[in-house]
Amino acid sequence: MADEKIHRRGMIKMTAAGAAAVTGLRWARTAAASSPEGESPHSWAMVIDQEKCTGCGYCNLACQAHNDVSPEISWNVVIIESHIDGGEPTYISRPCMHCEQPPCKDVCPVGASYQRADGIVMMDYDRCIGCRYCEVACPYFARAFNWEAFTGPNPAVPQWGFPEVPRRPRGVVEKCSFCFHRIDRGLKVGLEPGVDREATPACVGACPLGARNFGDLNNPDSVVNELLSADPYCQLRDDLGTGPRVYYLSPRRTEAPV
Amino acid sequence: MNRLRNKIRPGPIHLWILALSVLMAAGAVAGVMVFVKGLSLTNLSDFVPWGLWITIDLTAIALSAGAFTLCAAVYLLGLKQYEPLARTATYIGLIGYSMAMLMLLLDIGRPDRFWHGFVYWNTHSILWEVTMCVGLYMLVLMLETAPIIGRSEFLQQRWPKLAGRLESIHHFAPYLAIAGLFLSLLHQSSLGATYGVLKARPLWYRPGLSILFIVSAVAGGISLTALASMLSARFSNRAKVKDELIERLAFVVGWIMLGYLYFRFWDAFSMTYTYEPGRTEGLSLLTQGPLSFNFWVGEIILGAVIPIVLLLNGRTRRHPEVRMLALALVVGGVAAYRWDTNLAGQLVVMTYLPHSIQTLFTRYTPSLIEFMAGAGVVAYGLMAFTIGVRYLRVVDHTDAHNTISDPRIVEVGVGAD
Repeated sequence: MADEKIHRRGMIKMTAAGAAAVTGLRWARTAAASSPEGESPHSWAMVIDQEKCTGCGYCNLACQAHNDVSPEISWNVVIIESHIDGGEPTYISRPCMHCEQPPCKDVCPVGASYQRADGIVMMDYDRCIGCRYCEVACPYFARAFNWEAFTGPNPAVPQWGFPEVPRRPRGVVEKCSFCFHRIDRGLKVGLEPGVDREATPACVGACPLGARNFGDLNNPDSVVNELLSADPYCQLRDDLGTGPRVYYLSPRRTEAPV
Repeated sequence: MNRLRNKIRPGPIHLWILALSVLMAAGAVAGVMVFVKGLSLTNLSDFVPWGLWITIDLTAIALSAGAFTLCAAVYLLGLKQYEPLARTATYIGLIGYSMAMLMLLLDIGRPDRFWHGFVYWNTHSILWEVTMCVGLYMLVLMLETAPIIGRSEFLQQRWPKLAGRLESIHHFAPYLAIAGLFLSLLHQSSLGATYGVLKARPLWYRPGLSILFIVSAVAGGISLTALASMLSARFSNRAKVKDELIERLAFVVGWIMLGYLYFRFWDAFSMTYTYEPGRTEGLSLLTQGPLSFNFWVGEIILGAVIPIVLLLNGRTRRHPEVRMLALALVVGGVAAYRWDTNLAGQLVVMTYLPHSIQTLFTRYTPSLIEFMAGAGVVAYGLMAFTIGVRYLRVVDHTDAHNTISDPRIVEVGVGAD
């Protein structure tokens, strides 16, 4: 009998060696996985001024049109936050935070969620299998699953703009992309994202009150750096250590000290 | 003609097969509907994206843990007398994992891309590790089941050479046991860690889940193996068990469950010491809220305390009916734990508002389609086991394991009757 010839101690040794090898490999890979690939001179960020925001939702409508988002889904929900001191309500608009340490990227089993060197957290819609682990992992509920196919006309088109990216198929998870296609195309033709409207996320250009600002954190003269150095700001759930790239300037900061 | 009628006289087994077929057909209808119309037919949402089907996946995999445990006991610890039980467990394991695969195929948004899980790697993801382990372990289980199929009368008569080849895989059993142990120790606990690594969900975000998942899986897996064996022996004369072996296993289950209850107690109790947004609310959802019946009755009292008493007390354990009841309760408790864990973490919704982080609650009840598809998958599992008992003799604990090593020895006359 073959199984009698196998010594137990030998087996235990083999198992231990195998476990050590796999653990070592995993650690090596993990260390590599925590940093995005490639290099970029840019580091994109968005600054939303809660004091200026009136909750009109134009940002979301522009997003729906330019990214051809289904009316069932919103990449940039606008909600009433609270009534501070019983006064006017304050609003919060929530795109994808494009975290420095994105939980969605870490959990995706197939690497469909990934991070560019300029900080944008991307979705590979051709690779996503629709397991929805990223949805469960995102603290901001920034991700939406295509429970059904979006086939009809887009009600936000043409009033709020025209689609610039393909529609996502049924069965994949989608989310805000910081309009990476506008940034990339703009940079190619020499425009500056955050300054030139064509190279800036659609929601930023659509805001009638200038509450949304976009720019490069690596550029000391960018509008985002200017705003962040002038006023107190916060990031959503920064206690989790996700390092969001969307910053919020406090509401009522001219009236009462924060 | 008369003989034919005698042969197909309907008995309880036919009723059983008919019921399972009906459920499988309903499941197939639901499955096709989901493939055609998509997951909008479910009651899942962006707040609760994982529901009944994930619970069935987790439970099926957990209850398959008898395979790796008993194979390790037989081939690594040298407890040879349990070899026939390991065979039963292996077959149950193969069914369990195939159930999980089937259910998962329906649950993912793009079933056509299921192979992406094996081709595109994100080694940083716990789910990647689970995918790899489950895929490889499925292979191990197939190899471990091959000798069982090789032993079947049908194959031995029709293709004796093939049957011999399949049987000879049995020589690799110790190596397969090592591989199975290694892969299972990884992914059974990683399924708990799948939840445990998510800091967005405070109730899940704790290291204990991995330990609770693997300990409950081992207890549940052995319980299901023992229970299924006893039930088969009761309802089919093609199944034979050795009661003293099963009784000893049941005793082991009692102790494992006691350990599990201890871990479970500390895991829950430690959460009561300090207020943690989301986690405290999640715990009270389990202990006082809508999941409290499941938690106290399903998981703790029926799922752990009562079976522990019944299995550790010699008099009750020796009583076959009581033992079966206790084993069934353990199996139910494992399923209840998976359901509660999956759901509780998602029902608690933490707001991300900068000035007021609140805890809100959402809801989830599976839709009819989800129930139908789930029942279909479970019925498939029961059907596959029934076929195994009837035609592959997967519950035959009477013959010694060394009789199957050489196909020429087993070449006894099973002439056409």
